[in-house]
Amino acid sequence: MRCAECRERLDAYLDGELTPVESEMVRGHVEQCTNCGHEHAVLSATSRRLRDGLMYYEAPDMLRARIVSALSRPAKPADRVVSPWVRWSRLAAAALVIAVASSGLTVAVLHREDTTRAVADDVLASHVRSLMPGHLTDVASNDQHNVKPWFNGRVDLSPPVPRLDSAGFPLLGGRLDYVASRQVAAVIYGRRQHIITVYSWSSPGDDEPQSSLSTQGYHMMRWRSGRVESWVISDLNAGELAQFVALFRRNAA
Amino acid sequence: MAQQPVERFETVILPYLDDAYTLARYLLKDEHDAQDVVQEAALRAFRHFHQLRDGEPRAWFLAIVRNCCFTWRRRNWKDRLVVPFEDHLHTNVDESRSADAQAIEQSDRAAVERAVAALPLEFREVIVLREIQDLSYAEIAAIVGVPVGTVMSRLSRARRRVAAALGAGAQEAS
Repeated sequence: MRCAECRERLDAYLDGELTPVESEMVRGHVEQCTNCGHEHAVLSATSRRLRDGLMYYEAPDMLRARIVSALSRPAKPADRVVSPWVRWSRLAAAALVIAVASSGLTVAVLHREDTTRAVADDVLASHVRSLMPGHLTDVASNDQHNVKPWFNGRVDLSPPVPRLDSAGFPLLGGRLDYVASRQVAAVIYGRRQHIITVYSWSSPGDDEPQSSLSTQGYHMMRWRSGRVESWVISDLNAGELAQFVALFRRNAA
Repeated sequence: MAQQPVERFETVILPYLDDAYTLARYLLKDEHDAQDVVQEAALRAFRHFHQLRDGEPRAWFLAIVRNCCFTWRRRNWKDRLVVPFEDHLHTNVDESRSADAQAIEQSDRAAVERAVAALPLEFREVIVLREIQDLSYAEIAAIVGVPVGTVMSRLSRARRRVAAALGAGAQEAS
C-alpha cells in the first residue's frame, strides 16, 4: 500500500469502517511507515480528545415536558406548542370579565364559574395547609397498595393511585380533606422538592375536558371523567405539571 | 385508542431526546434556540411517525432534528450575529490556573469545544454525529443526505482542522 492510499483510509481505519482486508493493509503500512504512523497517532489522539472533551447535553426537563404535553393534546398540526397556559389565562380572564360585567344574563354559566372558583379556592387553601409540618399525609406510603385501600370507607369512591415513580413522580401518600363542602380523597405525589396533590370526589354529571388555571404561584388542573371530579394542584412549573397530569390520567384507568 | 401513537412515540423516539438536543446545541450554538428547534422537530417527527415503519428510529429522528436546525438557521441568519471567539483573548485565563489538574482538564475541554465551534457547519455536524453520537458512516450519510464517501472526506478534513487548532501534532508527535 502506498502512503497516499493509506492516508485517505486512515479515518475509516480509525472508525472501523474498512473491510477486514483493507484494515489489515492499513495496519501493516502504519506500522512500517514513520510518516503515516505519525499521522495515525495524531488522528487517533485528536479523536480521543474530541470524545473526552465534547459535552453530551441532557435535554432539560422543561423541554421534555413541553413535548409530552404537546403530544397529549388533540393534534393541531400548525400549533406552536409553547403555551396552553397563556391560552388558559386568557380564557380565565375572559370568564372573569364576563362574570364581573354581567349581572342577570347567562346565570347558569356564571353559576358554574362561581362554583369552580369556589372549589379552586378550597383546593388552594387545602393544598397550602397541607404543606405545613405534619399535615401532608394521613397515610404516608410510597406503595399504592397501602394508599388505595386506606381510603375504603373513608370517602365515597376509590381514588386512582397510579405508580409514577419511574417517570420521576414518586407517590408520597394520601389523606382525607374537605373541599367543596365534602370529604374528598387527596393523593400526594412529589417532584424534586415540589408537592403535587390530586383531589378527587364523586360528582354526577357528564365528563368535562381538562382545564387549568393559575393563581398565587400555583397551577391547577381539573377535569371530570366517569362521574369523578379531579383537581390537581402544585407549585411545580406548568409544563411538568401538564406532563404529570397526562401520565396520571393515562395510568389511572 | 387515540393515545396509542403517543405512547409508541414516547417509547420509541423520546429516549433519543438527549441525542437530539446535543446535536441541536452544537449546530445552533444556543441552548434556547436548541430547545425550540428540538421541540419543533419532535412534533414534526410525531406527525410523520407513520413513515418510520421499520427504520432505525434514532437516525430517523436525528435527521429530522438536523433538517429543522438547518431550516431554522436559514430563517434566522444567525451566523452573521455570532461574535467570533478569539482564542488569544480567552486562553490566558485558563492557563493561569494550570497548576490545578482539574483546571487543565477544564481548559482542554474548553479548547476542544472552541475548536469544534469554530468548524464550518458541515464539518461540525459530522464530528458531532461521529465522536459524540458514535454513528456509523452509513447512518451519518443518511442523516446528512450525502454519500458515504463525502462523510469520510468531511470527517477527515474536520479532524485535521481540529488537530491543527489543538496543536495535537506537537503534543503527540514527540
